[in-house]
Amino acid sequence: MKKILLVIQREYATRVRKLSFWILTILVPLLLAGVYAIPIFLATNSIEHVNVMVVDDSGVFSGQFVSSHDITYIDAANLTYAERQLKEQDTIDAVLYIPARTTTIPTDAFLYYRSDKPTTQVQSDVDNQLQTLLRDNILLDVHNISAEDYAMITKTRITLHQLDLETGRDGFLQVKIILATVLTIIIFMIIFMFGSQVMRGVAEEKNSRIVEVIVCSVRPFQLMMGKVIGIGLVGLTQFALWLTLSGVAVGVLQASNSELFEQARQQINISEVATKGSEATAQMAAADQQGLASELMQGLASIDFGIILLMFLFFFIFGYLLYASLFAAIGSLVDADTDSQQFTLPVTIPLMLPMLLMPAMMNAPSGPLATWLSIIPFTSPIAMMFRIPFGVPIWQIALSMSLLLATFPLCTWIAARIYKAAILYYGNKISYRDLFRWMKQKR
Amino acid sequence: MLQIENISKSYGTFQALRDINLHVERGRIFGLLGPNGAGKSTLIRIINRIALADSGRILLEGHPMTDDDVRHIGYLPEERGLYKKMRVAEQAIYLARLKGLSRNDAEQALHKWLQRFEITSWANKTVEQLSKGMQQKLQFIVTVMHSPQLLIFDEPFSGFDPVNANLLKQEILRMRDEGATVILSSHNMASVEELCDDIALINASHVVLHGTLQEIRAQHPSMSLNDIFIQTVSQQNS
Repeated sequence: MKKILLVIQREYATRVRKLSFWILTILVPLLLAGVYAIPIFLATNSIEHVNVMVVDDSGVFSGQFVSSHDITYIDAANLTYAERQLKEQDTIDAVLYIPARTTTIPTDAFLYYRSDKPTTQVQSDVDNQLQTLLRDNILLDVHNISAEDYAMITKTRITLHQLDLETGRDGFLQVKIILATVLTIIIFMIIFMFGSQVMRGVAEEKNSRIVEVIVCSVRPFQLMMGKVIGIGLVGLTQFALWLTLSGVAVGVLQASNSELFEQARQQINISEVATKGSEATAQMAAADQQGLASELMQGLASIDFGIILLMFLFFFIFGYLLYASLFAAIGSLVDADTDSQQFTLPVTIPLMLPMLLMPAMMNAPSGPLATWLSIIPFTSPIAMMFRIPFGVPIWQIALSMSLLLATFPLCTWIAARIYKAAILYYGNKISYRDLFRWMKQKR
Repeated sequence: MLQIENISKSYGTFQALRDINLHVERGRIFGLLGPNGAGKSTLIRIINRIALADSGRILLEGHPMTDDDVRHIGYLPEERGLYKKMRVAEQAIYLARLKGLSRNDAEQALHKWLQRFEITSWANKTVEQLSKGMQQKLQFIVTVMHSPQLLIFDEPFSGFDPVNANLLKQEILRMRDEGATVILSSHNMASVEELCDDIALINASHVVLHGTLQEIRAQHPSMSLNDIFIQTVSQQNS
């Protein structure tokens, strides 16, 4: 027992002291903060002011385009003049041309621009205003409907509420899908990354031949488990640091840039107003915007992160233990010259399966595929993390947990048998027949 | 000290050792000789309990050897190996603690050996920063640091220059004089003649020669150990 502690200590200390450990520890939260911050910076900083000249030969839109903070619309008398301006004046960035009508309702419009200017923002702004103005024109001028009717048509909206059958409340499906995807990717990454580290560590010990000295002091099983546990603790440490640092990074970002955040929010609202064109739709858009934000907040608030964290730790620890010992066995098969590919695949395929089947699970988080994947021990750690945000019946969680708890000692036992024999075996290429022989033999 | 009784071992259809009987006396240097593939390394692994014999037994001080007894063996394998990225002191202390030394004792022992080899300045270098010869020295220190009663050296002089090889020989003799028992496997007959008190020659999984150096010399008058080796092996193979 004392020896296994020494091995754990060495594995942990040598890895935690590595520069790469700290780079990864800092990089992930920075990346996360970046993902969080980039849209805000883009919303506040990236927009250059654009002048669009409007030539309306149809007479439907004249003077009705609404300029915004970023885009100014200027009416021009004819296309020839506007085109010359576009060619000669740096201040004019695009020309919108609506030809004379051949029917009551115009069907085509053209946007001319200099090759460096067609930002998607300008395009979508022009397009949105065209559609809204055209609709207003049809309703108010062609069909002559009253102002009340107009308001009713444009302001009325039906909101679709998604209700969970059991709780009778909003299920916040979108939020859950995002959360499920994130959790699945994280647990897969951690198990795969640290499992591979076990494999490389074992292969290193075998190929540097130090293992022959060490197995004189420590039983191979102790050496293997020491490595598996030591690296697992490194994984837990990294996860804890990620969690803390990400929290700190996002917090700092929010506190130090509260002005920026506020600005960004307003910016989004203003451009929404501009795109919708009319007052009525602008209000609706603002309401929509707030609705989405509050749905996100409510959605996140409705989720019990304590339970998710506990589940994550359980499925990470035992999923890792299951796979790490198998990775250790593979590492022991790696000889300097032979490649380990043929032995790696049978272990990585079940690990990747839930990732590959995620789109199918997304369609039916409680369907038979997702349910089975979350119960079968080799896929359960990853598939279960996908299902947890959607709510999983207690009996399924209990079954999945007990099967995992029962399987990992069995896997470790088989892995240890192979490891013991293979770690001191050099030279010939190892076949699957050797593996079965080793599983049965003693020493 | 060490009694090897009727040891046989086969790997699949290949018989690596057949009914080996040897006796290693306390406080002596025992030369284990034999051509490549004769089964020396297998025998050493069985003594170290890295491998288990199919039949026969190994007695240490009259009792069957246990995993715990292996702690008192110092083993220098033919294929050397250390953690390349670990520092010298850290690695030596780790390996000594695995052998059961306390941290304090390990630190003291390491200090003593680094001084004896005049290499105290290496302590904080990583192994990959050392030359091959330096790594060999460290490997030797790691083998003897826990003052084992039984030492097993497999080709200890390979990779050493004559000066350092001599340094090693002096250390081996000194440890013998201090009461340790040494099993030395080597193809270097000059070193064997110089150091060993007893020798055994294994060929094709059998013991073909066993006795004190003087006895064997007396049986083959006016022949060098090298010639005795070649003659015995070729007689047996024909």
